[in-house]
Amino acid sequence: MYVVGIDTSGVWIIVPAFNETQVIGDVVTDLRSTFDHVVCVDDGSLDDTADTALRAGAHVVSHPVNLGQGAAIQTGVEYARRQPGAAVFVTFDADGQHRVTDVPAMLDRLAGGDVDIVIGTRFSGSRVSGIPPLKRFILRIAARLSPTSRRLGLTDAHNGLRVFNRRVAENLDLTMAGMSHAGEFLALIDDNRWRVAEVPVEILYTAYSLAKGQPLLNGVNIVFDGFLRGRMHR
Amino acid sequence: MNWIQGLLIAAILALLVHLLRSRTNATAKAWVKVGYLMFVIAAIYAILRPDDTTVVANWLGVDRGADLLSYALVIAFLFTTLSTYLRFKELEVRYARLARTVALQGARTPKI
Repeated sequence: MYVVGIDTSGVWIIVPAFNETQVIGDVVTDLRSTFDHVVCVDDGSLDDTADTALRAGAHVVSHPVNLGQGAAIQTGVEYARRQPGAAVFVTFDADGQHRVTDVPAMLDRLAGGDVDIVIGTRFSGSRVSGIPPLKRFILRIAARLSPTSRRLGLTDAHNGLRVFNRRVAENLDLTMAGMSHAGEFLALIDDNRWRVAEVPVEILYTAYSLAKGQPLLNGVNIVFDGFLRGRMHR
Repeated sequence: MNWIQGLLIAAILALLVHLLRSRTNATAKAWVKVGYLMFVIAAIYAILRPDDTTVVANWLGVDRGADLLSYALVIAFLFTTLSTYLRFKELEVRYARLARTVALQGARTPKI
């Protein structure tokens, strides 16, 4: 398949999912209309997420127990990078908050060859509407406070839509359980000197994605885990 | 400021620095054993001559030996809590790797 002149046969979409039966079918079907390869990492769901994703045409890797979104992304990347011909990797949330139509622009940016990873941002250009005001404020502050995002010149520290090449996929090693992986991802970008760029994307704040999304208070956990990062054995 | 205040604050800070920086290696383990040995000797001495703890406490600006011991206990408890927390985090990482290997072995591909 080709999208805006980019060959998508080497593109693998990684969708971490936990109890998403309601929406996973549509998300996978939507992705499959543009991309050949979708791998859904079922993070120990108690519902029918795995079978629904498989029926919709995704490869399915099921964690025997719930390990958190960061671990699910790592599993998906490890699965995708061993597939023949896999060259580009995309992380895409299962709750329907990302738009498939945002991915081609990011692939296009990566195809420029001067960056290793492209991250979506909610805060670039004029398309910032639709973000709940408090959430928007906190995310902005988080991006400003994080020395890593400042150094990398990023405006949105916690966007789940990322596109990266093999160099990143080969060396990715996310160890933070739960939601702290976004910060860890940025730290890895910084440590490994991966070249990073941002592309504006739109987040669809549906009632479903807001209900499934992380509560703002979880930011406390994220900050705390960030401080402890690197103080453990790997 | 009493001596005890300075010492307690220094202990808390040293604890943080030590816990956050150290990676367990042979040297660190050996120091833990040396520390434990010294603790045992001090504990036995304090048991045999409890009034001496009051003397030490007075040197440090604390009235009673019992108070000094409770301060030491709080610090020891903090140390244990933090190191247990870190150990659990490490275990989680190993556990995730194990579960990931199992998951990758059971991967399913779509029929289409």
